[in-house]
Amino acid sequence: MGPDDGPGAAVAWRKVLWERQPYPDNYVDQRFLEELRRNEGLRQYRYWAVVREAGLVGQQLSCVAIFITLWLYMEQGLLSPGTLLLISLASSLLGYGLYQALASQAEPVLQPRTCWADLQSVTIFLSFIFGFSPVLKTLTESVSTDTVYAMSAVMLLAHLVSFPYTHTSPPGSLSLNAALFASVCLASRLPGALHTFTMLSCALMVFALWPCLLRRVKNGAPHHFAAVCVGVCAAGVGGLASRWPGGAVILALALATVILLCPWLLVQLQRHKDNIHGPWDEAEISEDLSHFLQ
Amino acid sequence: MGNRRRAAAFSHATQAVSGPTAETIKTAGRKHSICMVSDFFYPNMGGVESHIYLLSQCLIEKGHKVVVVTHAYGHRKGVRYLTNGLKVYYLPLQVMYNQSTTTTFFHSMPLLRCVFVRERITVVHSHSSFSAMAHDALFHAKTMGLNTVFTDHSLFGFADVSSVLTNKLLTVSLCDTNHIVCVSYTSKENTVLRAALDPEIVSVIPNAVEHGDFTPDPSQRNNDRITIVVISRLVYRKGIDLLSGIIPELCLKHPDLHFLIGGEGPKRLVLEEVREKYQLHDRVRLLGPLEHKDVRGVLVQGHIFLNTSLTEAFCMAIVEGASCGLQVVSTRVGGIPEVLPEDLITLCEPTVQSLCAGLETVIARQRSGSVSTPASVHARVRNLYTWRNVAERTEKVYDRVCGEEVLPLDRRLRRLRTHCGPVAGSIFAFVAVLDFLFLLFLQWWLPDRLMDLAADASGPFGLWRQEASESKSKAPSKRGGQ
Repeated sequence: MGPDDGPGAAVAWRKVLWERQPYPDNYVDQRFLEELRRNEGLRQYRYWAVVREAGLVGQQLSCVAIFITLWLYMEQGLLSPGTLLLISLASSLLGYGLYQALASQAEPVLQPRTCWADLQSVTIFLSFIFGFSPVLKTLTESVSTDTVYAMSAVMLLAHLVSFPYTHTSPPGSLSLNAALFASVCLASRLPGALHTFTMLSCALMVFALWPCLLRRVKNGAPHHFAAVCVGVCAAGVGGLASRWPGGAVILALALATVILLCPWLLVQLQRHKDNIHGPWDEAEISEDLSHFLQ
Repeated sequence: MGNRRRAAAFSHATQAVSGPTAETIKTAGRKHSICMVSDFFYPNMGGVESHIYLLSQCLIEKGHKVVVVTHAYGHRKGVRYLTNGLKVYYLPLQVMYNQSTTTTFFHSMPLLRCVFVRERITVVHSHSSFSAMAHDALFHAKTMGLNTVFTDHSLFGFADVSSVLTNKLLTVSLCDTNHIVCVSYTSKENTVLRAALDPEIVSVIPNAVEHGDFTPDPSQRNNDRITIVVISRLVYRKGIDLLSGIIPELCLKHPDLHFLIGGEGPKRLVLEEVREKYQLHDRVRLLGPLEHKDVRGVLVQGHIFLNTSLTEAFCMAIVEGASCGLQVVSTRVGGIPEVLPEDLITLCEPTVQSLCAGLETVIARQRSGSVSTPASVHARVRNLYTWRNVAERTEKVYDRVCGEEVLPLDRRLRRLRTHCGPVAGSIFAFVAVLDFLFLLFLQWWLPDRLMDLAADASGPFGLWRQEASESKSKAPSKRGGQ
């Protein structure tokens, strides 16, 4: 019964240990690896479907670019805070209307928030930002400008990395905090307190409210989602091009990579996937066992 | 690439079995000097530890010389002797994680060389893929031109990053090892795939159970109730979450059902919560950690043995349960379906529903009295897995291995390069060269001929038994000095 113990008998080999079989221990049967399964539950990706999903990543990148563009305009005095405030008020009212309109089509919520509650939140947020903007304006005065820029860049990068792309509402706390940290840093380099206030309310709109609206669009009007993404990307590139053409080129290249090249690579590399399963895999507990403890 | 290699190995595998080679015949019956190496040994407790100990004892009984090498456990360092003169080296190596040492590929070389030379080792047998020391020993033994055997005791997945890395290391470690032993056919398939091996050099030798220690005793049972026994570490991999779903489900249906749970672990909390919530304190007893000698005392109190493991290479617990005459219910995972014949075990899918259904049929059978008696179950199981049989089959592996040549350095380097991929292969080929230079340095610094040879306690020229029989008055025998 050791290895190479002589030719096997006529008895068929069975995959059992409890029976002494007339085969050597290192016998390899025809049925060896019979239960091996390859690429189980493999999802075949289609290129344009992946591109559509990647659009979400691209538009988030563009959102950051749009925010930086606004800041550039404000910093160079090309845009007065009053104008920007008016524009953002108009667009947030428009967005809010859209949000409510899409709510009926999207998933029904048990207890919808009333407009009154929304108004209260907005008032609280705006008055706090308005009250604190002189403080925030001088917050980083003792820090050198280079440090502030570097910190903002790192934080915006952290925002992009940690953004919960798979479920975009509400924006993940880490990504939202990183983005607000970066906007406080940038806003504190602007000339006046009103500038700071405007910049921060814009930051809230771009980083907190826009992802919520975009999710509604994605769920409620999926056909328009692609168009919205393209629009945001174009706005990002175009806006940046007006102040910093080099940056716009870099952004366009990054967007092309994320939206077009990476999905292509994913689809191409998919055929090299070789995932093996078999009886040796650890079983997964698929049931929800928590109800036994509640 | 791994894909292609696997396919090649597979096609090769389906060829006819080769007959006994000339070398095997020549070496059969020879007595070997075997060095068992693993990080896991007494006083640590577990499957690998008892496997090494009991296999060594049976090999000593057959006239081979066996020494065990492991790392120091607390104050237990240096040389110790166990029953029948089994010599254990507790080497002073640093423990990193889970009782496993680190590997630098070099620092263990002087000590291991010392052991191999002094004990005149011919075969190095490493155990467990989690043990860094076992892989180190394989690496150095091949550098020193010794024959190597490796026993894999566990199953491993392919999906996550950590398994990709460990599987690569296993490929490197096993590509020039003479023979590999697995404990079940499923484990063999797993190891062949993980290390991209030729299945011809992998033998399946199951674990064994000391059936004398696990005899039934129906008088210990309380026949007014039905007792389900679970003995395992209370961890996720043993499916304790499933158990926490089974307990309330069945206890509500059967008021005479009791659970007896032995073992300790992080999932104990879950079981305690379930017991608390359903007020089952009198029916679910948690015994805490059990010593090996107490296991039988718990098993014989039960009617049904339940195993809920999610993965298992060879489940010794179910054999122990059956040996004590219990009806066994288990999940159908890993090597478990191979272990017991269909009429001694009820196999279920790893879900609460399936396990409950399986347990219900066994409970119904138990009530109607249509189950076989504990004595008859024991009689069927007792000769299935014995350590003598394991030792006999392992001996044949040693005989075969001793007839094979150990790859010389140039061919070993080529094997590493062709077998482990261009990057990892080149890196480890470089390490192998360094290891060889280090060996040359050690041989110059302390030549083999200047090393004292150890007196054999066991083996063909063993002094232990001769001395013990000649001079019983001079007991307790010679100790130390080595």
